Amino acid sequence: MYSKKTRLAAVAIGSMAALALTACAPAASTPGPAAPTSVSDDVAAAGDVTLKLSDFWTSAEEEWIVSLIDQFEEKYPNVTIDRTREDWGQLTSTLNLQLQDEGGPDIASANNGWSSLGTLAKAGLVLNLDAYADLYDWNDSVPTTIARQNQFTTDFATIGEGSWFATPPARASLIGIYYNAAKLKELGIEAPATLDELESAAAAAKDAGEIPFSYSGLDGNTAALLGLQSLYGAEADINDFVYGDPDVKAEDTGLTDAATTLEDWNHKGWLTPDFEGIDYQTSLADFLDGDGVFRFDYTGALGLSGDQLDQFGYIQLPQAADDTTVGVGAAPGAMVISAKAEHPDVAAAFLDFLMSEDASQTAVDLGLVPMLNEVTIPDVLSQSGEAAATATLDADDGYVPYFDWASPTMLDILTQNTQLLLAGKTTPEDLTAAVDADRDAFLAQ
Amino acid sequence: MLLPRKRRRGSHANRRTRRVGLLFAAPGLLLYAAVVLWPLLQSLQYSFYKWDGFSSATWVGFQNYVNFFTDPVLRSTLGNVLVLLVFFAILPIALGLLSAAMITSSNRRGMAVFRWIFFLPQVLTSVVIALIFKRMYAPEGPINEALRAVGLGELAQNWLGDFTWALPAVGLIGTWVTFGFCMVLFIAGASSISPELYEAARMDGAGPVREFFAVTLPGLRGQLAVALTLTITAALRAFDLIWITTRGGPGTSTLTPAVALYKAAFVNPNVGQAAAIGVVMAILCLVIALVITRISEKE
Repeated sequence: MYSKKTRLAAVAIGSMAALALTACAPAASTPGPAAPTSVSDDVAAAGDVTLKLSDFWTSAEEEWIVSLIDQFEEKYPNVTIDRTREDWGQLTSTLNLQLQDEGGPDIASANNGWSSLGTLAKAGLVLNLDAYADLYDWNDSVPTTIARQNQFTTDFATIGEGSWFATPPARASLIGIYYNAAKLKELGIEAPATLDELESAAAAAKDAGEIPFSYSGLDGNTAALLGLQSLYGAEADINDFVYGDPDVKAEDTGLTDAATTLEDWNHKGWLTPDFEGIDYQTSLADFLDGDGVFRFDYTGALGLSGDQLDQFGYIQLPQAADDTTVGVGAAPGAMVISAKAEHPDVAAAFLDFLMSEDASQTAVDLGLVPMLNEVTIPDVLSQSGEAAATATLDADDGYVPYFDWASPTMLDILTQNTQLLLAGKTTPEDLTAAVDADRDAFLAQ
Repeated sequence: MLLPRKRRRGSHANRRTRRVGLLFAAPGLLLYAAVVLWPLLQSLQYSFYKWDGFSSATWVGFQNYVNFFTDPVLRSTLGNVLVLLVFFAILPIALGLLSAAMITSSNRRGMAVFRWIFFLPQVLTSVVIALIFKRMYAPEGPINEALRAVGLGELAQNWLGDFTWALPAVGLIGTWVTFGFCMVLFIAGASSISPELYEAARMDGAGPVREFFAVTLPGLRGQLAVALTLTITAALRAFDLIWITTRGGPGTSTLTPAVALYKAAFVNPNVGQAAAIGVVMAILCLVIALVITRISEKE
């Protein structure tokens, strides 16, 4: 009995040691594929081509991509685009496997940042698109702050500069402030145009017995913190921090000021009562039902339709210090071409089409927020506000990336520390220090 | 050595039967090896690397294991599990024993309904249970409303959003889930204890309390071992209830190793760290199971 056990242990230890010492690393390192050099925009000459597309878009966003596929196929009858919709989490966690498969997608929507796009590029699974950027002139047509979100240096040490590995579709996802138009009218207040006006509006709302800011904390909420950050931090500093410039510290990005303001609003009782126990979906539904005057949120998150489009307005406030506008904003997905794609020219033409004026116009027609191009805006309150915001940000080149791209664990750090802050268990300074510590640990790797 | 001698005595036919048996078991064993043992070994291997799941991995030795025990956030998950143990294991077992004692000592009518109600969580999926409790614990949910209705409004809390209350609140869901199982297990066990033992105890003048400690509890040794093993490992593995109700928050006050593992594996790509957490949890579960069986089989 005893000897059998020892033998078993010996086998176990032996196999552990064998694995540990001799086995090769879990995934072999593959150098990235050479970037295509001879490229062409002649789609019609490519013959009959079928491209496989995988994306994670639903509802209005799905209508948008389906409509663009139809338009592209109509323009080029020799091209068929075979689309598969997958769940967001499913696609982002399996895209590496799908792109390694011979029968995998030719084009896919990936998530920005290191957690998805960066690792796909580093693993050589997606094409370097520099040649197409030259061909289609993307460097001029896309604002630098948006282009950076798709770029990596070819040694994959740096994000935010270097070669193109993805393209943004002509739609934006921003963080800004939604307001309930009827409530503002009742209070006799115009839509605020500065942070000071927003705060006095909030104070007036509180006095009138309204909830100034719809907020939830149960499952974490970073929209308000990041929305405020872009009112204090300089566009260049936030960009550089996220893209790993070690000389820029979190303190330089307006984060402490944003956390102080949010804490202050909490002390004044401006946030939804008992927000600690309310989850995101519930507070969003309550806001749409009329609880709360203002709400920081992502464009599109409210899912406004019909009459609602006129009941809620959108504001992108200028910065606290001057009147430049900085806003958290990105394309809602990074479009990549598989390194295994047989017709990269056709795929690149389709990506270019997704950045076209037609694509922007189709977006706004479907109630989405357009980006990159001038469009005709429907005469409804929320959409005119959203489109005005992207127009300003396009013009000011004022986009900053989502702050949680700075490290793979940053979203957790922000969520946890915001909860601590609003429970009085940490200070704005310590929150900022925690953010630095997390990014420094990531950069040190 | 005992076994080899026995084996040597085994006849030729015996050995053949064994070989035929192995042949029959082979497909199952192969399948088991492919879907359980191989991934197990792979996880073990991954745990020694720093790997994002995509690109090349770097060998880091025991660093991932060291992280688990030194990183303040990861280490705090072990403390949270200790608290959950009280709610997932100790409380339900104590309550289960109590109800088993009450039911066996007095076979009243209606007990079937009682059993049925408490066994109900076993047939509901944990997602449903978590969603129900999330509603009950809401700031304006039934629990706070009930407290206010009886004049205890002072006690109303943001149960799942409060740094002090979130972990016990999640733990109580676990109590409710495991309690019914423990109770049914103990009732079944108690009913198989020979009635003569109770008679003998009563003749010796034992009251219900004495009877419980002298007869029922020793008679339930086997069931206790099963209940302990399953509930303790359930506490260690706690994921679904927590992910749906609090996602580990507020702060990290309800973070468990399983939630940390999920985040490392699927949210922030750090496959090596996730594998190390998984291996530690597997070893802990195995050790606990072995210790409990050892103790319960003594004598």
